Amino acid sequence: MFAYYFQLGLRSLRRNPLLTALMVMAIGFGVAASMITYSVFRATANNPIPQKSDQLYAVQIANWKPEDLDKSEPPDALTYTDAVALMQAHRARRQTALYPVGPSVVPADASQLPFRETTYAWYGDAFAMFDIPFLYGGAWSAAEDGAHAPVAVLGKALNDKLFNGANSVGKTINLDGHDYRVTGVIDTWNPQPMFFDASNTQGFGDPAELFIPFTRAIDQQMGGAGNFNCSATPGSGWEARLRSECIWIAFWAELPSAAEAAGYKRFLRGYAAEQQHAGRFNWAPNVRLRNVTQWLDFEKVVPPESKISLLVSLGFLLICLVNTIGLLLAKFMRRAPEIGVRRALGASRKTIYAQFLVEAGAVGLAGGVLGLLLTGLGVLGVGLVFDPQIARLATLDFSLMGLTLLVATLATVLAAFYPTWRAAQVQPAWQLKSN
Amino acid sequence: MLKMTHLSKVYRTEVVETYALRDFNIDVKEGEFVAVTGPSGSGKTTFLTIAGLLETFTGGHYHLDGIEVSQLNDNARSKIRNEKIGFIFQAFNLIPDLNVYDNVEVPLRYRGMKGAERKQRIMDALERVGLASRAKHYPAELSGGQQQRVAIARALAGSPRLLLADEPTGNLDTQMARGVMELLEEIHREGATIVMVTHDPELASRAQRNVHIIDGQVVDLSEEPRFHAHNARVADA
Amino acid sequence: MQIKPILAALKRHKAGTVLIALQIALTLAIVCNALFIIQQRVSKLVRPTGVAESEVLTVQNSWVGADDATAASRTKTDLLALRGMPGVRDASFSNSYPLRGGGMSLGVKTDPDVKKPITGATIYYSDDHSIDALGAKLIAGRNFLPQEIRWVGSNEFDAPAQVIISKALAHKVYPDGSALGKPIYLALGETGGKPSTVVGIVERLQVPWSGNWASNFVEYSVLVPYQSTGAFGSYIIRAKPGQLDALTKAVPALLFKTNRMRVIPAERGVRTFAQVRDEAYKSDRGMAILMGVVCAVLLAITAAGIVGLTSFWVGQRRKQIGVRRALGATKHDILSYFLTENLLIGAGGVIVGAALAIGMNLWLVSHFEMERLSLLYVVVGVVALLLLGQGAVLAPAMKASRVPPVEATRSV
Repeated sequence: MFAYYFQLGLRSLRRNPLLTALMVMAIGFGVAASMITYSVFRATANNPIPQKSDQLYAVQIANWKPEDLDKSEPPDALTYTDAVALMQAHRARRQTALYPVGPSVVPADASQLPFRETTYAWYGDAFAMFDIPFLYGGAWSAAEDGAHAPVAVLGKALNDKLFNGANSVGKTINLDGHDYRVTGVIDTWNPQPMFFDASNTQGFGDPAELFIPFTRAIDQQMGGAGNFNCSATPGSGWEARLRSECIWIAFWAELPSAAEAAGYKRFLRGYAAEQQHAGRFNWAPNVRLRNVTQWLDFEKVVPPESKISLLVSLGFLLICLVNTIGLLLAKFMRRAPEIGVRRALGASRKTIYAQFLVEAGAVGLAGGVLGLLLTGLGVLGVGLVFDPQIARLATLDFSLMGLTLLVATLATVLAAFYPTWRAAQVQPAWQLKSN
Repeated sequence: MLKMTHLSKVYRTEVVETYALRDFNIDVKEGEFVAVTGPSGSGKTTFLTIAGLLETFTGGHYHLDGIEVSQLNDNARSKIRNEKIGFIFQAFNLIPDLNVYDNVEVPLRYRGMKGAERKQRIMDALERVGLASRAKHYPAELSGGQQQRVAIARALAGSPRLLLADEPTGNLDTQMARGVMELLEEIHREGATIVMVTHDPELASRAQRNVHIIDGQVVDLSEEPRFHAHNARVADA
Repeated sequence: MQIKPILAALKRHKAGTVLIALQIALTLAIVCNALFIIQQRVSKLVRPTGVAESEVLTVQNSWVGADDATAASRTKTDLLALRGMPGVRDASFSNSYPLRGGGMSLGVKTDPDVKKPITGATIYYSDDHSIDALGAKLIAGRNFLPQEIRWVGSNEFDAPAQVIISKALAHKVYPDGSALGKPIYLALGETGGKPSTVVGIVERLQVPWSGNWASNFVEYSVLVPYQSTGAFGSYIIRAKPGQLDALTKAVPALLFKTNRMRVIPAERGVRTFAQVRDEAYKSDRGMAILMGVVCAVLLAITAAGIVGLTSFWVGQRRKQIGVRRALGATKHDILSYFLTENLLIGAGGVIVGAALAIGMNLWLVSHFEMERLSLLYVVVGVVALLLLGQGAVLAPAMKASRVPPVEATRSV
């Protein structure tokens, strides 16, 4: 029976090619617009580390007076003082302070120019915390952190570039004229958004290819390659920078259970209270512990462009559907006499429903196919609208293709309910009476 | 009132020319009640559509109330239809979206008549056909006979000089048909000119004069039809 | 004309009427807001920077393995080499430049004893060549003198004795227009500090940031007579007319010839100011384009929907159009019937749509950094949609007016 309805549907669609084309185009455009913007939204709203997103917490401590805070939220990074204090307290299962640095890599081959890679200074714990896969070797040890050792972990791409992909563990690389021993090479690791440094990258940037100990970077007076925000001018010199109330360091703690998280929050409050007693803070403890998803949300990693355009596109789809309801109504009611005859020949309401919904489904499917083409084109053109860092994440994969067809068909069938209901209301004798 | 001389109507397609009316002559005097009969396909409906200025004709002359209509443009023809002619159709042709009152109002609207006068006329016309109480009903809620009476009221509301009726009882049962016929006779007695197309001899016999059309030509049964027709053709040639 | 009977007839076609009105309403709501977004973005991206944009090249440089003393001497060597290049009008070195994306900002005060600055402003490290290299226009006072320029460490900031500020900032801190020669205090949340005398005012100089958050100090810039000894910085090179293209290749080549121990990023390392502007406003321009496309397609679809549904209505009402014609309606009467009908539906749609547009805007205002919708956009949108409706209905209405009166006598 389905085949018969489908055949009837196709025949009917061919009978009003213009009306059919209109509907298919409306659905195609509506679905494509929604899918293109959704692909961007999906990329930006992605959970970059789903298996651990509720175990990793970013720490915030209000070290500025309340009137310098935005909506009484503590700043989104820590001072050196606080970051080091939390590292020394060592109250989480694992923890790391981190900040982006900008050393230059000097190739051993003197004919090659020095270059820079996205580099992070952090603690050896970070690799295990962030589930970073190793190709060769492993993280540097806690002892090496403590010794401010000149060691490094390379990204796969950098290892390919410097050592042609060979196992480079134990070899040295030159950063800003100083040798660093390679302890490990990680496999491709590029969480999107880059949750661990959302405050500097806004979630999206070039993948990190080089990691060195935080303690070593501080020894080397490596200035940050990220934000450095102050509520008062810090004074001159590196030492003044470290002592200042300027914020530039992210701090992450791994707290596998809710109890541990609650415990850590108590510890943070206690730490802030201590600072208050010591006279550093002149205000009540104000601390935050946000897990990965909360952190990304707080950092507004999903750009407003992405949200607004998704909303506008959904509105667009809605209009296209209203349009489709109208056109389907026109199309179905034009066939009122035919429906009357079919009803007189013994078609039940149910069969009329089935016939017209199948017809609508065919329109929706055709719209979906057009939408798929347009989505493909649109995804290529996303770079025109969004930051290239984000645009390249928007891809037309199988799940998006499936979703496009599904949304198109489902939406059209939904839109067809009212016109179909109207069609099914046609009485067998109706056409004889109306003129 | 209505005078056609040597009138012809040709439907042209790419392949053939079909004469619907050929050397057609008729003269309906003011106040007459003429029934036009003939087999189906003889051209009675074509005659009526031309008489009602619904269609143009190909050759000959047509004087309506003394006016030669062949040269009139579309707007002028609309105005004549609106002011001088009332139509009664076999299928009633009420507008299903409008209620009885609004249906009767349609031709008056197009005449640009003032609201108060419109209302007066509509109520008079509905009174006349005995449907004043149904003013708010929609056509679908009325019986066939009632619908036709609304159509007659609509035709009457504009006080037309000429009433054209196309099988006015064709879609009605005998009893309803009789009622409609009596209404037409009453209207005629009050002075209107009526031209009614019908294939029902009984109905036709109630008119003052019968005109018979065969193959697009008038055969006046009250005289010697064939000879007359033949003569006309010779004269035309 | 005959509004009452049209309304009466529309009541019998509620579904179609409501659908068209709804479509018009939703379209109006989205188009108004989209146009407003376009206008906001476009007004942002046409803002002048105060830079001689067609003549400026920027190069991002960082020294490899250099301490403060060596970095400073290398930078000086670079500047000499750049200024001596054929095709170069002038060159300077700074921490940032307009639309760069990253930079430094401080608070500006006129009273050292208050804690809260009057406003934020960006700090551009400059020397006596900077104004010329940027192509900024000095409209009052004087440029820095060579002997005023100091080389300072990357972790040092000490208020300078002299500053040059933008006109917008001068008016902000000294609204009476008397900024020249007066002191300003560059500080954050602390009191005290050294005064910096305003020795010059440039007509315009934008801050490095193009984001909405910087929009309340977009032209508040302070040039300080400092050069950073740090490893990072940007060269701002102003080409002689017609020489810009040649310099984009020649400048990095010269720099690497002068000293190899540097990194000029492969991506975004060497940019003409046109590229700088392009990249800074990429998402604004993209958003405007996207909204424009959405508007155009939306209007087209709505128009097509009206054409489709009205055509259907005309087809459905052929008989009654014939009857109306038979009863004396002129072609013009029929045409105006459909135009009026559409206008009535459109009017219903735009009333709801205007309310939706404003509601949607209020929602956007509360959730995103958006401004309140100007009513002008609603008015323009209303007129545009009514015209669109009339335009869309014209073809089917013309078709309706051509239905011959004889249609009335044809059987169904």
